[in-house]
Amino acid sequence: MYLVYILMAIGLFFAFAGTVGVLRMPDAYCRMQSSTNIATLGTLGALLGAFLYAIYLKNTGMAIKILFIAVFIIVTNPVAGHAICKAAYKRGVKAEKLTCDDYGRDFPNE
Amino acid sequence: MIGFVIVSILYIILAIALLYRVFKGPHAVDRVVAGDSVDILTVVALVLFSVYSGRGIYLDIALSIAILGIIGTLLISKYLEGKL
Amino acid sequence: MKPSKFNSILSTFIFCYLFWIIFTWTFTSQELITGAIVSLLVAILTSRFFIHEDANYLFNPARFLNLVLYIFIFLMELWKANVDVAKRALSPSLPVNPGIVKVPTEVKSEYGLSMLANSITLTPGTITMEITEEDNKNYYYIHWIDVSEKDRTKAGEAIKGTLENWVRRIWK
Repeated sequence: MYLVYILMAIGLFFAFAGTVGVLRMPDAYCRMQSSTNIATLGTLGALLGAFLYAIYLKNTGMAIKILFIAVFIIVTNPVAGHAICKAAYKRGVKAEKLTCDDYGRDFPNE
Repeated sequence: MIGFVIVSILYIILAIALLYRVFKGPHAVDRVVAGDSVDILTVVALVLFSVYSGRGIYLDIALSIAILGIIGTLLISKYLEGKL
Repeated sequence: MKPSKFNSILSTFIFCYLFWIIFTWTFTSQELITGAIVSLLVAILTSRFFIHEDANYLFNPARFLNLVLYIFIFLMELWKANVDVAKRALSPSLPVNPGIVKVPTEVKSEYGLSMLANSITLTPGTITMEITEEDNKNYYYIHWIDVSEKDRTKAGEAIKGTLENWVRRIWK
């Protein structure tokens, strides 16, 4: 039973770190990196805690649905991240002080 | 078990903090990224509340919010890229 | 290698029907027959978007075991990268050093390429932007939050780590 609390605390900590990152980071691309932080361990910790508690209550249908929601978020989040990052680059969003930019060298923006 | 309600309220507070970035973001991309994160945090809060109250209906709502969130993000990014 | 049409429809049908059973979680005959009809319709309409290579390739005990092991290896990498990015976000001086690097890869098959790209995007700190192919070798363009190596192969070692070997053990 304490395991559920520990898992939820881990999830809450990483969600907090991701939120602070989204509010503080200097440019759009770094904000995307922090939002990935929310979507991976911030949700996975709390959802695994809820999954263990549902098994403890012997509610199998609910447990399977929670596990499926977790897998769904994990599988679909990188697709959205990839699409929005490419769209931001094609749209010409300014990135601050890039150290090296291979993509802009190989595919110049019009 | 009252702990689930407290944790889900904390998640909602984090989502409200993210709304600052949605309103202020200098570019549309920032707003979309912050909105996607708000979606995911809402899904987690709904799942925790569903486990607390023992009703399965909140899980279905959480699942549909997750599906609609990903579709919205993909649509807006395709539109910004100019392929729609 | 292009799979036959019947084969791709069959594998999509099995996938959809499995998800129907998981969601409804009732085993009366009406529900099962309705699910079979609906998933057959979905399979006929969408199999050409879903199956690009032979999907029965995965039905092999050794590969399936590797897939299960890969999940645990991936969770370890996820934990390390998450702690790193959380430290960066919470530290007062905000130590970021972003850049876009081009990284070569050895993976050949389509499923393997997309699986490796999604794994790289899912670890915080790296986002895959595009995959290109130049003279039979595939390259990723990766946005990296902390560029410590500008050389291509060394940057690839630092980003992909052990994940690429595991993906090559599952797919070709």
